[in-house]
Amino acid sequence: MLEIKCPYCGKRSQNEFSYGGDATVKRPTLGEEISTEDWDNFVYFRDNPRGKHTELWHHVSGCRQWFKASRDTATHEIFDTCKMNEAFNE
Amino acid sequence: MEKELDLNMLVIENISPLHFDHKLGFFGDYENKDNILKLSEVKELSIFQIAKFKKSSVDINEVSLNNLKLPTKSLTVISDNIARILWVGPDTYLIVSKDKNLNKDIHKIFNDDDFAITDISHSRAVIEISGSKSKEVLKKGSPLNFNDDMFKPNNCANTTYNGINIIIDFISEKPDCFNLYALRSFGGSFYHSITDSCLEYGYEAI
Repeated sequence: MLEIKCPYCGKRSQNEFSYGGDATVKRPTLGEEISTEDWDNFVYFRDNPRGKHTELWHHVSGCRQWFKASRDTATHEIFDTCKMNEAFNE
Repeated sequence: MEKELDLNMLVIENISPLHFDHKLGFFGDYENKDNILKLSEVKELSIFQIAKFKKSSVDINEVSLNNLKLPTKSLTVISDNIARILWVGPDTYLIVSKDKNLNKDIHKIFNDDDFAITDISHSRAVIEISGSKSKEVLKKGSPLNFNDDMFKPNNCANTTYNGINIIIDFISEKPDCFNLYALRSFGGSFYHSITDSCLEYGYEAI
């Protein structure tokens, strides 16, 4: 069983959480002229890195909060987690 | 021709969430044992979910309900003889009480502009489990850390039990007593999950 540290509740079992995707993807600014390619990139295309990855996770069976996690996609080691408006300590 | 509905003819019966599941008696391996588990349905509770809006500038430390402050520390419960206030998320609380007049007090204290107030009294099935083996029963289905130094009386936690989202409220210890909240629609399934886990130790449904 993997343990993930929720910034609000502390360490909890992985099955209380839900993966929310890449946390580095930024939505194109509203009101600006956006090319179809930019929309495609935002909606569909994601990197698939091997190693450290910044991700969104949702404590769906707990406090229902979204947070950021820095995780190794190869070893599943979680280096750090933080609230959405905070930065990692590392 | 459509018939008009005569509201005077309607008889509204208040059926508790576990009305068809909770059968009284002794079950499982209870013979020749003292202090077996006790299981009951907690009915007629007033349960309110209070969530502070992000735009609100209200200081939670300044708010109190009948001299009961809101818990500011995560996973804690503040209580008195009338009500228990559970921390269920950042700026989100569950107020639980047997007091039927709680509704008026809550609306007086929590302003609609600053807080979302939702009456969820009829949408939760609540089970009380007590006895020295209560933690063992909960450990069977929940991944929560129930070690004594991690989960103490007046702690609460949102977690899962055999895949069902629940809230565990640790009421008291020696013997351990917990209130378990599940969504009403999952009540029957959750009740049978709990009772199946209790069979090994034997339990009395009261």
